[in-house]
Amino acid sequence: MPEPTKISKKVCMLGTFGVGKSSLVRQFVYQKFDESYLSTIGVQLSHKAVGPLLDKKTNRPVHMNLILWDLAHLEKFDPVVKNYFHGAHGAVIVLDLTRPQTFREYENLIKPFFETNPESKLVLVGNKTDLSADDHPRTQIAEMAANLNCPCHFTSARTGENVELVFQTLAENIL
Amino acid sequence: MNDYLEKILRAAKLAFAVFDQDFFLQDASKLLAQYAGGRLQKKSATLWEVFPELIGAEDKITELLEQKAKKYELEKLSRFDQEGKLLYYTLTLFSHQQSTLSGAQLIVLITDTTKETSLEQQIQQQKNEIRLLHAKVNQYNAQIPNKIYGQSAHIQTVRAFIDKIAPIKTTTILLLGESGTGKNLVANAIHQQSMDQNAPFIEINCASIPETLIESEIFGYERGAFTNALTSKKGLLEEADGGTLFLDEIGELPHPIQAKFLTFMETKRFRRLGSTREIGVQVRIITATNRNLLQAVKNNEFREDLFYRLYVVSHQLPPLRQLGDDILLLAEKFIEIYAYDFGKKVKGLSESAKSKLMHYEWPGNVRELRNVIERAVIFAEHEFLEADEIILFELRPMATTTSVATTFELPENGISLTELEKNLLRDAIIKSDGNQTKAAKLLDLSLDTFRYRIKKYNLDNFSAY
Ligand SMILES: Nc1nc2c(ncn2[C@@H]2O[C@H](COP(=O)(O)OP(=O)(O)O)[C@@H](O)[C@H]2O)c(=O)[nH]1
Ligand SMILES: [Mg+2]
Repeated sequence: MPEPTKISKKVCMLGTFGVGKSSLVRQFVYQKFDESYLSTIGVQLSHKAVGPLLDKKTNRPVHMNLILWDLAHLEKFDPVVKNYFHGAHGAVIVLDLTRPQTFREYENLIKPFFETNPESKLVLVGNKTDLSADDHPRTQIAEMAANLNCPCHFTSARTGENVELVFQTLAENIL
Repeated sequence: MNDYLEKILRAAKLAFAVFDQDFFLQDASKLLAQYAGGRLQKKSATLWEVFPELIGAEDKITELLEQKAKKYELEKLSRFDQEGKLLYYTLTLFSHQQSTLSGAQLIVLITDTTKETSLEQQIQQQKNEIRLLHAKVNQYNAQIPNKIYGQSAHIQTVRAFIDKIAPIKTTTILLLGESGTGKNLVANAIHQQSMDQNAPFIEINCASIPETLIESEIFGYERGAFTNALTSKKGLLEEADGGTLFLDEIGELPHPIQAKFLTFMETKRFRRLGSTREIGVQVRIITATNRNLLQAVKNNEFREDLFYRLYVVSHQLPPLRQLGDDILLLAEKFIEIYAYDFGKKVKGLSESAKSKLMHYEWPGNVRELRNVIERAVIFAEHEFLEADEIILFELRPMATTTSVATTFELPENGISLTELEKNLLRDAIIKSDGNQTKAAKLLDLSLDTFRYRIKKYNLDNFSAY
């Protein structure tokens, strides 16, 4: 088996404040969860390798180092934010299952994000499954994912449920 | 590099790194180690290893090296340093060409902004916490059933009553029903269906306010009306102007005030205490009681004229035990609310739990059901509540307990008759909440005998249990 190739890709975490973007990253990178809320300012950077994945074109295994851009909730759209988005290969859009009334707020983010990175790949995430037993928000999210033509997963940053899967899926799609 | 240059940079909270055309690290200030940490090995380190945050910005960097752009800046970046402390910084990139012969170099400046940005973080933190709380409260309110739930014929009658009566804003309404049947829910529903969104809904429980205060509470007072009236105060009737005043337990309204209230109902005008000026208000009056008002009239506790005035438009709310499957529907609604509230993954009721709920009398009606479910959800272990997780307050005597055995076999090893007697006496006292007459009856003893025996065993201090 050939030595895995190492590549790095930039991934943005998108979503309204408090949906659990930072918590998902923390769970994925450090396997930790914190009940208390610490609001993010600007961008918080971290990275973690996933893989090996199989590159179908070259048939070689690949280790992908994901550079995670955990973005703060953005009040308004300024040029600084465009810089944050610039060159992203993928994005995780996070929605909070317990706050269906905020589901549509990501739409303001996704448009400028796609304008900057038309080729980039998405995964839609419904987070906080440990708090929500209701099926309705899940159905809504599944429909939104179908419209965006991207995969969706339901996660809990608290229990770790499906967190790896989200980043694994995204990495495979970026490859 | 000069020693003092390092000092200057440190004081200015600046670090820098220089890369050659092929993006290999050429030079750096000592402080860089704090940002780049372990990734920093001179000579072999590349730009992307030292600054992974520049992955994706390859095109921007090429522009700099080709002199097509002057600088590229990324603000308010943050990452954890090796000690786990969050550092905030700005990256500024520009190119530098020493002579036309040498290739361009890329310079990366790192400005530490931890101090300023931490302050901004604290402010944003508070803003967002408030918003999260708001969102939580809104979600919670959206789940509270201010709707009348249920499909039974009884509930449909209630709904039909509300629909019919709501548009007629001037009618006074009397709601009858056992305690806990949701009289104020119905009052609220009538209010919401008939009034503007911002119209006031004022609620007063006549039983919970001392008789001496209730008049000033409802009608308000002028300064000097009584000894402690240092200022004037609006009464609830004025507060409710343009909306609804809901008087719960109207049966407890003191007799003298009943007359004043009746006058108000007929004229829609009243005077504050200590005032000669009449005030007119537009208020819909809804009253409620769980007492038998007719009986109260017969006992001379409630004015007959007021009773008939109120009784014109009245409605009897059904007790929960008559609502059939609605009991389960309501229980499931409450489960949804409390599961959300307490962050529990409870989805519903098991078959055994359903049967338990359906076979209970519900003396406390919907309020009792709500409390029972709240408790069950808090302690729930599974997705579906089990019968033994539903704790009911059985007050009715069980039919089977009357024929308890009064004879039993003496165990092989014998028994202490004194201890047995002591235990039975103690049990009787507890069961009758310390009421000795009742306790004596439970043991079929005369009060004197009972007293003699508890004294003998030193049991006459009830609070000791
Ligand atoms: N129960 C639960 N709480 C979560 C979950 N994810 C995040 N939280 C909490 O939600 C709040 C906001 O999370 P955070 O990651 O800071 O959200 P961000 O603003 O999107 O980065 C914090 O109090 C977290 O502890 C989850 O999956 N389950
Ligand atoms: Mg965050």
